[in-house]
Amino acid sequence: MFSLQLENVTKMFGDKTAVDRLSLEVKSGEIFGLLGANGAGKTTTMRMVLGLIFPDEGRILYRGRPFDRSLVRTFGYLPEERGLYPKIRVCDQLIYLAGLKGMGRREADAALKMWLERFGVPGYYNKRVEELSKGNQQKIQFIAAILHKPDLLVLDEAFSGLDPVNVELLKTTVRELRDAGTTILFSTHRMEHVEELCQNICILHNSKTVLKGSLRDIKNRFPKERIVLVTAKPAAGLEAVDGVASAVWTGNVCDIRITRPEAAQRVLRAALEQTEVHRFEVLEPTLNEIFIKAVGGEIGG
Amino acid sequence: MADLRRVVAFTVRHKLRSKAFIVSTVTMVLLVSILINLPFFVSLVQTDKTDTFGMIRDAGGVADALREILAAREGKEAALLVYDDRGSAEANEAFLREKIREGEIIGYLIITGRDETGFPTLEYKSEDTMDYGKMGVLQSGLQALKVGRVSAELGLSERQLAFLNSPVDIRKVQISLSGDDTKSEMEIMIASALVYALVILLFVAIMMTGQMIASEITMEKSSRVMEILITSVKPLTQMFGKIIGVCLVGLSQLLALLAAGFVNLALPHNREAFARLDIDLALIDPMLIVYALLFYLMGYLLYATLFAAVGSIVSRTEDLGQAVVPITILSMIGYFLAIFGIQNPGGGLLVAASYIPFFTPFIMFLRVGVTDPAAWEVWLSIAVLLASIVAFGWLSAKIYRTGVLMYGKRPTIRELRRAMKAYKI
Repeated sequence: MFSLQLENVTKMFGDKTAVDRLSLEVKSGEIFGLLGANGAGKTTTMRMVLGLIFPDEGRILYRGRPFDRSLVRTFGYLPEERGLYPKIRVCDQLIYLAGLKGMGRREADAALKMWLERFGVPGYYNKRVEELSKGNQQKIQFIAAILHKPDLLVLDEAFSGLDPVNVELLKTTVRELRDAGTTILFSTHRMEHVEELCQNICILHNSKTVLKGSLRDIKNRFPKERIVLVTAKPAAGLEAVDGVASAVWTGNVCDIRITRPEAAQRVLRAALEQTEVHRFEVLEPTLNEIFIKAVGGEIGG
Repeated sequence: MADLRRVVAFTVRHKLRSKAFIVSTVTMVLLVSILINLPFFVSLVQTDKTDTFGMIRDAGGVADALREILAAREGKEAALLVYDDRGSAEANEAFLREKIREGEIIGYLIITGRDETGFPTLEYKSEDTMDYGKMGVLQSGLQALKVGRVSAELGLSERQLAFLNSPVDIRKVQISLSGDDTKSEMEIMIASALVYALVILLFVAIMMTGQMIASEITMEKSSRVMEILITSVKPLTQMFGKIIGVCLVGLSQLLALLAAGFVNLALPHNREAFARLDIDLALIDPMLIVYALLFYLMGYLLYATLFAAVGSIVSRTEDLGQAVVPITILSMIGYFLAIFGIQNPGGGLLVAASYIPFFTPFIMFLRVGVTDPAAWEVWLSIAVLLASIVAFGWLSAKIYRTGVLMYGKRPTIRELRRAMKAYKI
């Protein structure tokens, strides 16, 4: 049984369709990637999943059952626009927020101390949020989303604005939560995070689903159009090979784009005729490339 | 229910701890204490100092007689030092001036002639031009002396003199056409002063706490903590939790003020000072305080729901001031009607306005305080007020549930209605 299931969910705002017949399924212990440019319908989808607004058509099921108010205690949410009380101490507001989720004071306090310790910032317990740097506020916000051990965690742009060290820290935490059985709905623009974390994804564009399925299948569906070639010295005339779109040399490394799969072997032969080949690899498309292709070239990655 | 309690507790805790709350409470408590101690301070200034004047002994014995009269006065506001004649008018004046310089006296009286009754005419001389009060003491003393001398000349007995001096007795009594209880002049005076003060307090308290709610909610929206809150608590729970919490904070502030008032009034030196001014605080009708609290609570609830609704549709704190203007104007109309209506509390406009729920807390309270409206009138206005609290509470809750999800520019009423439909609220 799926932990979270959207069936033909449609949401209209006036005559504008915000989400159009979206279906997706997330298993417990899975990180599901929800991708899309701004305005694609991600936030509306997440708000519907969190029970803030209700779909006009279709339905959302949680472990096979429809939404009811008692479920919100099992939800955790990290909104894209961060928000905590600026003038209230970290401990006061996080224990309050966990309390609203039904967590006892002492339990919340212990959990908070544990997480602050893990994130290497135990000193923030008594600090007011406005005293913290942006990145550290983000860590606190993340703790606020997971402190009450939610079953369903919705992360909207979880890693934006963090330095690489902290991104790794949060990624590890997200993986651990997944392994502990938490269902995670993960939205981002950063494709490399999706490739690292998600098995299944869904790409939204202008409220419609343009791609859906496991990352593996999606990648296999797209032709391999990129070759990396490393040689002893640069070879000339590769761009003239039939089926090659471009060949750009950087030192002894050449980045080649092809339009037909057969062109790959022809490129290799052309290179071997001129020089020694140290490395030759036909790369599968990155999610970034797939995304740009799927939503049309107008949006940058 | 547990969530509501949590929201209330959180709101109360952080409001009570906030610097703004502590500063404003301490300031108001100080202000109330100073106001109540004012009669005492004034009496200190008035009674503690005896002004000493000088005069040369005259053949008619006016100086000595005046000294006796002033010395016999209660409070001893003034004393007269009588000096022997120095021989000439110039020598006398020079001598008296020397006494002022030495600080023995602050001014002196010189006899300049006689009026038609044979009583001396005088001049009062001092360096200070502004002491009319001091001259008043001398004048009343001299007047008493003159009356005594003239009546002695006319052969009036002490009894006849007392008759002449006795004031006309006229008393103001307020009657009630609906009941048979009457209010004395003192009761009326104390009641209107108190009603005046309480109407101001009601207005300030309702506006302050209402604004507090609106700004709290807008702050939660602009800091985006709202997104987390609404995924945890029902918006309704959150809105009413906030309203109740701020209400408790407001009440605690009111209680602090009342406590400061009572403690100060109970101090013996203040009791004496008020008694000296003929103000008997026991004449305050305790029901007036009960009504004040009742109208405060109901007025607060009505305005608080409106402020909450407005706070929820504004996304940025900077825009809030402009957005609450309609509510402020509404409350100010009621307030000014009450303040100006205190002169004519039975007027038709005022009676009609006392049934309009937004004005009831100020105007019906005024009517209860200074006139005697029939019980059904009071209960009718309270019923209308309660019904509007429920109606506006319901409407505000709907607006709130929509408003907290809307960001960006402040929505128009049409946009709000469309959003309500879209959100299925």
